[in-house]
Amino acid sequence: MTTAQPTGFKSWLFTTDHKKIGIMYLVTSLVFFVVGLLLAFVMRTEQLDITKKVIIDADLYSTAFTIHGAAMVLFWMIPVLTGFFANYMIPLMIGAHDVAFPRLNALSYWLYVMAGLIAVMALILPGRLDTGWTGYPPYSIVGPSNTAFYVFAVHLLGASSIAGAVNFITTIITLRAPGMKWGRLNLTVWGLFGGFIIQLVGVPVLAAAVTLLLFDKYLGTSFYDGTKGGSPILYEHLFWFYAHPAVYVVALPVFGIVSDIISTFARKKVYGYTSMAIAIMIITVVGFETWVHHLYVAGTLNWTRVVFMWGTIAIGVPTGIKTFNWLATLHKGSIELTTPMLHALGFISLFTIGGVTGIANGLLGLDIQIHDTQWVVAHFHYVLAISMSMLCMGGIYYWFPKFTGKMYNEKLGKIAFWITLIGAMIAFLPQHTLGLDGIPRRYWKLPAKYAPEMRIAVIFSYITIAGFLMTLYNFVHSAIKGEKAPANPWNSKSLEWQIPSPPPFYNFEKIPTITEGPYEYGKPAEEPAKSH
Amino acid sequence: MLKQVVRLLMAALVVSIPYAAAAAERVVDPVKSWDNHLKTWAVVGTVVYLTVTIPLIYFVFKYRRKHKDEDGAYIEGNTGLEILWTIIPMIIIIMLGVQSWAVFNDLREVPKDHIEVKVVAFMYGFEMYTPEGIKTLNELRVPVGNVKVNLTSKDVIHNFALPAFRTREDMVAGENTYLWFYAKEPGEYPVYCAEFCGSGHSSMLAKVIVMKKEDYEAWVKSKQSEAATATLTPEAKGKNLVESLACLGCHGIAGETKAGPALNGLFGKTEELEDGTKVVVDDAFIKEKIADPKAKPIKGFGHIMPPNMLTNEEYEAIAAYLKTIK
Ligand code: HEC
Ligand code: HEM
Ligand SMILES: [Cu+2]
Ligand SMILES: [Cu+2]
Repeated sequence: MTTAQPTGFKSWLFTTDHKKIGIMYLVTSLVFFVVGLLLAFVMRTEQLDITKKVIIDADLYSTAFTIHGAAMVLFWMIPVLTGFFANYMIPLMIGAHDVAFPRLNALSYWLYVMAGLIAVMALILPGRLDTGWTGYPPYSIVGPSNTAFYVFAVHLLGASSIAGAVNFITTIITLRAPGMKWGRLNLTVWGLFGGFIIQLVGVPVLAAAVTLLLFDKYLGTSFYDGTKGGSPILYEHLFWFYAHPAVYVVALPVFGIVSDIISTFARKKVYGYTSMAIAIMIITVVGFETWVHHLYVAGTLNWTRVVFMWGTIAIGVPTGIKTFNWLATLHKGSIELTTPMLHALGFISLFTIGGVTGIANGLLGLDIQIHDTQWVVAHFHYVLAISMSMLCMGGIYYWFPKFTGKMYNEKLGKIAFWITLIGAMIAFLPQHTLGLDGIPRRYWKLPAKYAPEMRIAVIFSYITIAGFLMTLYNFVHSAIKGEKAPANPWNSKSLEWQIPSPPPFYNFEKIPTITEGPYEYGKPAEEPAKSH
Repeated sequence: MLKQVVRLLMAALVVSIPYAAAAAERVVDPVKSWDNHLKTWAVVGTVVYLTVTIPLIYFVFKYRRKHKDEDGAYIEGNTGLEILWTIIPMIIIIMLGVQSWAVFNDLREVPKDHIEVKVVAFMYGFEMYTPEGIKTLNELRVPVGNVKVNLTSKDVIHNFALPAFRTREDMVAGENTYLWFYAKEPGEYPVYCAEFCGSGHSSMLAKVIVMKKEDYEAWVKSKQSEAATATLTPEAKGKNLVESLACLGCHGIAGETKAGPALNGLFGKTEELEDGTKVVVDDAFIKEKIADPKAKPIKGFGHIMPPNMLTNEEYEAIAAYLKTIK
């Protein structure tokens, strides 16, 4: 086994090294993040005047939110977490040389790239996608859009996700170093584990759903045609059976990363580690009992709606447990407000706003008024889109010294953070008012009386976007020009920080034997941990 | 421990009985129950938000690291506390859920004394049918009272959203859905389509007009006699066409700009097209516009107007009608 690091272009193209694949995932997903931001900029600019056309017509507005949503959810958030963080961190955190199936891992990445290319083509070629990222029939079948692009992108991405899920679940189960008990895993690993289980169960259902779309559109079948014995609502069920849990594919790893960052910078053991891990697994399971909240007003049987209301709001409990445990971790900690720590705390404050508005969406009685309104747009940008993107930035900062071997610019990091946070706190606030008034989402133009609200939304969206771009600039600049980082700049106890930065080719010269968990800060000395 | 948990759950149930009782003797004004529910949520939400943010900010200031190698206190957790912040959210959620369930029943259970109307959605508009069988476009007239609305669609999925009455429901081709509302006071209330249905989605607007019973009956009478004496002039035919083809979803007829330009005072007007050329509006232009809207798009709007294949007589009727509105 050689420990020399291969270099050069080819070494990236043909690599099966989890660290290189991880970094390729990071770079690619960040490109999609920028595409998403650009489209957000375009949509918001269109809203400078909400009564008549500013820069794009209704058709292009539809394409803009479709590709924005798809790029952000399917090509940025899910890949950066299950691609970058999982690839780079899981082997380092569990003490392994690589993942279980390195070549399958490379395949996952390249399938993802191809799916991405198809998605970008869908933006440019005639018959542009305009169905929303949800692709509901009959519109996606009878409408003008080239649904095949959507379906093939989802297929390739789905194959990539399933391969990734199999790979990482196997890795976590079989490749843990001696002594790395389940109770000693980083919560990041727990979160990713939950996320991968969801991918494995859910993605095949999504793939089936969109395949039938393809049949209906090009082969003339009528699975989703209500006038010929099919039902478009069937698609909605199949789609959300995966796509709702998909938000937990994003959220669970994010919860894990928050815990890791807070523990490191509060120099304190994560409070209630066991309940944190249990909460993750509960969400993994209960996350599959909520999807019908997307069909609260879709003619669903009344009692079915009630059943799924209970599933939906039940998720609030484990989520609450996690939030309170984070607070308790800060209590009596020794807190240092570095850039990653700020991002974790900023995440909690945005996420809580979105959590509270999400309860309103989950409550069946309330949701009937605000379903599919601007309220929902505001809700998911707080709870997931912006807060979790922000947290991913925090995670990238946190491990930046590890995977680049360089330090990022702390001062620029903090300035960019505050700009993003101030923007994000306000950018979607006004849309709650519109939502309570029942104004629908995916609206190219809006009733004129909301001009003041939308002006605020536009300005603060610009600020948010500027903040994110500054963060990205910081990454690029520091990766090239940053100072050399020490192996463990945060003095963390977690395993990935105990090896050089960046890690050598096979990570560990000798697989370590683990004697304690990753968060044992300030453990009283009189009881030295025994090696088993 | 288990005993305590059971006891707490029982307590939660007891607390929620009043809500269940309220559900039994149904309040018939869903708007009121919804507004109350929103208030409860707002109070609970504010408390939750403050319970998280105040300690967060306080801890960050209080426990700031003093010197470089300082560790935090070594605390693994506390089972009692952790159970506390599992149980309390559970109770809150059960109470909110029970209330929501009651509100939902108000919103979905149609009272016995109601009239039934039918609405059919299409790209982009709503056809409304009163119980007397009168068809109107994008304008539903009802008398004061409880109204059940049966919903369906001709093409893609739409949604009949009635924010003033706190209710909405999807409209699906081949399926029948419903909603009901309590038309309490005469007035005009907006209707939106709350399911994305294509480029005309944001201009798919309509209204519900609630009328006093006498007024409504008078309106029905006048409509019925109108239909009886129907040998129409081209202008009147044109008016009917413009109304029934949903042109008014995108066009105003009193100078107002919607998704498209207003249709009044068009004849003889010089319009600038997207490629910068100018055209004068005449019969031929109107005909081409309706048959193939994308051929000469007016500057400053989207390409969203759908084409309509009509007979020559019908094109002329529309043009004749447009000449009459100044
Ligand atoms: C989905 C929205 C929509 C519908 C429905 C629609 N239009 Fe239009 N219409 C537009 C838009 C947008 C424009 C301006 C852009 C263009 O010329 O294509 C327009 C332009 C026009 C013009 C030219 C106006 C001018 O300033 O010269 C006429 C005339 C017109 N429409 C008539 C009709 C008639 C008649 C109908 C019904 C059969 C109709 N439209 C249905 C959106 C619509
Ligand atoms: C500064 C950042 C952002 C801004 C200003 C922004 C703005 C918007 C706007 C204006 C819409 C269209 C709303 C509508 O008309 O219905 C939208 C939709 C959406 N956004 Fe964002 N967004 C941002 C970041 C993100 C991120 C990071 C995500 C990541 C998950 C995201 C996910 C979505 C999704 C899923 C939709 C729905 C698309 C659809 O309706 O099909 N957004 N966003
Ligand atoms: Cu969902
Ligand atoms: Cu619509």
